[in-house]
Amino acid sequence: MDPTAAPTDIEKKFMRKHPGWFYWVRHPLFTVLAFAVLMVYAIFLLPNKETAPPLWFYFSISLFILLVLGYSGNILADRGKPELLKMIVALLLIAVLFWLFYLYSGAQWGRLRKFFFNWKKLEGNWWILRNGLGVTLFLAFISAIGSVLMGLMVAILRAYNSPTLNLFLKAYVDIFRSIPMIVLMVVLFFALPFAGISLGSLLSTVVALSLGYGAYTAESFRAGIESVHSGQIEAARSLGLSRWQTIRKIILPQAIPVVIPPLTGNLVAMLKDTAVASVVAAPELLKRARELYTSKTNPTPLVAAALIYLAVLIPLVRAVNMIENRLKK
Amino acid sequence: MDNSEKMIEVVDLHKRFKNLHVLRGVSTVVTRSEVVAIMGPSGSGKSTFLRCLNRLEEPSSGHIYIEGVDIMAPYIDINKVRTEIGMVFQSFNLFPHLTAIENIKLAPMNVRKISANEATERGMALLKKVELEDKANAYPEQLSGGQQQRVAIARALAMQPQIMFFDEPTSALDPEMIGEVLDVMRAMAKEGMTMMIVSHEMGFIREAADRILFLADGLIVEEGTPDQIFSDSQHQRTQEFLSRIL
Repeated sequence: MDPTAAPTDIEKKFMRKHPGWFYWVRHPLFTVLAFAVLMVYAIFLLPNKETAPPLWFYFSISLFILLVLGYSGNILADRGKPELLKMIVALLLIAVLFWLFYLYSGAQWGRLRKFFFNWKKLEGNWWILRNGLGVTLFLAFISAIGSVLMGLMVAILRAYNSPTLNLFLKAYVDIFRSIPMIVLMVVLFFALPFAGISLGSLLSTVVALSLGYGAYTAESFRAGIESVHSGQIEAARSLGLSRWQTIRKIILPQAIPVVIPPLTGNLVAMLKDTAVASVVAAPELLKRARELYTSKTNPTPLVAAALIYLAVLIPLVRAVNMIENRLKK
Repeated sequence: MDNSEKMIEVVDLHKRFKNLHVLRGVSTVVTRSEVVAIMGPSGSGKSTFLRCLNRLEEPSSGHIYIEGVDIMAPYIDINKVRTEIGMVFQSFNLFPHLTAIENIKLAPMNVRKISANEATERGMALLKKVELEDKANAYPEQLSGGQQQRVAIARALAMQPQIMFFDEPTSALDPEMIGEVLDVMRAMAKEGMTMMIVSHEMGFIREAADRILFLADGLIVEEGTPDQIFSDSQHQRTQEFLSRIL
């Protein structure tokens, strides 16, 4: 088609009547110039909180926020702009809003830092948190094995479809999915000794996590097993394979790839739930941080613990996501 | 070979699914090397009948004798009975996580406990028989419907069964693939395999079957040679059905 040709009737029917009053805001030149204006505003025109007259103070801040929102909104809503630019603008917008909050909220940043980010209080005590993290990972590892074994066993038994067996298996799954983890641990740790069974804090944690997450794992496995087509089972049985051979050779190899994403999700959730063990005095990360918090009379150890949890869990969550994506292919 | 030797004897077989009475007293005898076709309108209980004979469906009452043995008896290990009966399904039901040759080797190795080498050797011979030896290492999803069904037949044959059941083996296939599967079945019939086939492939049945059982509403309403049934059917249900599919 010749772009210089006069529009046909059909083309006219679908053409824009008017380019729009503000079409020029999409021009790259405007994007650049407006950014420069905003920079100038931010550097020279933002008022000083102590000295500026109140009216001017509120007016100029409001105007600045409006301009920033309008500018970033204009870019974010423009389908023609590259995604990379949009990401940068979105991040910048968040940074600017935080910066304004920092400048003008009136928070006592010095005191906040002294309370929550007083790293001096942790000097010489990092090893305590490191030990705590070790215990956390150890508890999570053992409970992961326990819960997967528990879940697999329950799911396999359910695959036998025996009504009597199912009665107990369903009861187990329902009860342990309904009971809060913290209650379960407290019961195991504080109540069982009265029945003559003393598990101690580490063992009660492992047992509670294995039983609790075993119930979830069993449900994941069951969903995976049920996703295997019934014709597969019939084919296997018609060849003379026993139920157990059918489960092992036909059902599980097909079910496990389906189960891995929800399973790894469960395990990450379980790693987080080891923090609950601090109520039964298991010396894991949160418990050790709380001890430090008490002895130093400063909450910095808790912040440190939070950061350690994030540092361990974010890569793990990412990894789970990657496994999921790979299995989808 | 004694051609009157009873391979399968069914006596007054009933199957109920809750309120549904699917089979209402089916009795028949299949002798060695006989090829029996089972026909009938949908819902007449053809598939259920076949699946009851190796207890993939548990019969509600009646007796089934395979080579003279009552397979409903409590001392019978049904898994051992099933090794004598190969079964081929409408939807192939190949194991998708295994290659063609692994599909075939699985049962001989795990049930018959033969060595991997021997199973491979036997499996390759069977694949050659169904003309798929070049597809030995292909996964089911890489095969066409007709190829999958031929692998499924080879898988059933790998157990060296005395009897083969076919449950609508060509119904899920594109027309141009039906022929290749029927060719394999025809060859098996010639070799003297005892076969029970649920199918509506009239041409194939006329040529290969010794006898047709016509099922309607859970009963054998008519049986006879293909000639008798196709050109001289006595029962009204049979005539209605044939007039509709011919």
